[in-house]
Amino acid sequence: MAKILIVEDDKDLNNAYCIILKSEGHEVVGAFDGKEALAAVESFSPDLILLDLLMPVMGGLEFLQKYDLINKHPEVKVLIFTNMENSPEVTKSYDLGAHRCIIKSWTAPHNLARVIEDTLNNKASSPATTA
Amino acid sequence: MSDAQSGPDNTNQLIVEKQAEMEALFTSIGDGAITTDEFGKITRINPKARQILGFSEKEMIGGWFPNKIVAVNDQDKIINMIDRPITKAFLTGKTISEKCIYRTKKGKLVPVNLSVSPILVDSKPLGAIQVFRDITLEEEVDRMKSEFISLASHQLRTPLSSIKTYSHMLIEGYMGDVNKDQQKSLRTIIGATNRMNELISTLLNITRMESGTIRVSLKTINAKTLVDEVIEELNLLANERSIEINNLSGKYQLDVIRTDPLLLKEILINLMTNGIKYTPENGKISLTVKQTTEHITFCVADSGWGIPEDVQNQIFSKFFRAKNIVKRETTGTGLGLYLVKGLVDALEGRIWFKSKPKHGTKFYVEIPNGKNQH
Repeated sequence: MAKILIVEDDKDLNNAYCIILKSEGHEVVGAFDGKEALAAVESFSPDLILLDLLMPVMGGLEFLQKYDLINKHPEVKVLIFTNMENSPEVTKSYDLGAHRCIIKSWTAPHNLARVIEDTLNNKASSPATTA
Repeated sequence: MSDAQSGPDNTNQLIVEKQAEMEALFTSIGDGAITTDEFGKITRINPKARQILGFSEKEMIGGWFPNKIVAVNDQDKIINMIDRPITKAFLTGKTISEKCIYRTKKGKLVPVNLSVSPILVDSKPLGAIQVFRDITLEEEVDRMKSEFISLASHQLRTPLSSIKTYSHMLIEGYMGDVNKDQQKSLRTIIGATNRMNELISTLLNITRMESGTIRVSLKTINAKTLVDEVIEELNLLANERSIEINNLSGKYQLDVIRTDPLLLKEILINLMTNGIKYTPENGKISLTVKQTTEHITFCVADSGWGIPEDVQNQIFSKFFRAKNIVKRETTGTGLGLYLVKGLVDALEGRIWFKSKPKHGTKFYVEIPNGKNQH
């Protein structure tokens, strides 16, 4: 099972994803903004990061820039989990190395667990760079 | 009238007075104004135009308009002379009104709304006159409005996501067993949150469209990749209704296109979501893409209930919902296709459909390949 870092500012949702992913047997750590996530990756070394985009203190895009996913952590999978579907922010996250984007309000827990499995097993199609 | 009043001296004086009046009128125009001769050389530039562009009168007079006044696109690339409004006005003999970005003497980019007309005397072109207005402030207000709409959309959906996620967790047994009646109630809650989510999306998009805050931002994109992204986003939604999506975008050879990827995605997501909603469980939806030298055409086909013939001419109207759909599916707003039509218009495309009740519907969206657009 994988090590998953959940970065989500909404406490209820963060807690829900922790419960869902722990029940699937994953090791899970939660962070509530990008800054907390940067601190967490130092000690936790996740296999996959479930990342919200719009958060206080430090948003998901700034986290991706500072974490330098493409150059420093190419082995880590980043799954964008947002309600800002079809936004320039999502396109930018792909440019910064995110693997997939899923929409919170469309995704039931069993589907979230399945998408995470697919992403970890490289079953997902690679996203486009709409540059 | 006496001889003294109608003599040559008086005529000259009248001409001088008229010229002074014309000059005062030109100078007093509150927007930027520039005139050229028939060869495009600048003959006059009023104080407001000089203030916007940062050049002195001496620097501009006698210069060739397209050289002196640099127009650029969103990426600060210089627009070809043939695509400049003044060239179009000279070539067509008509007034051209457009939004444009000018580069000032100091290199600052200033968005302007302009109108340029040929000056015709006895149908012979003597030059052109352009009036333009700095719209930096309006653009900033539009940007803030768009940002607010986007933020409001996110903030409204966050609590709904919590309601939906926890309801699903209860149904799926993450918190222990729930009986059938409890499951039914939870499904009602989930259905209501789905409708609320849809409503938020549609209303915010309609607000953007009707307030004119939808901006077309052209980018060169791979159509196949964009379709793959749309389908990946929608697969989860289709799964919930046991509907299969066939991605046929790889069937034909596709070249890159130049369009607004976010607006195009919005169009396809709306059509596909409609297909998912109005197709019975275990049905199928497909997306096919074909390209010609001029256009690219997307076809979204569903195996749904179809659109009755007598209402087919109304389906792009605001709040319209077909009776056969209202009987089966009470959750729609009648705004989805109205929105899609508006977005297709924004991309200078066209939309049409073929539908047969009980046999499904095929929606076609054709947009320009856009290779010559900036």
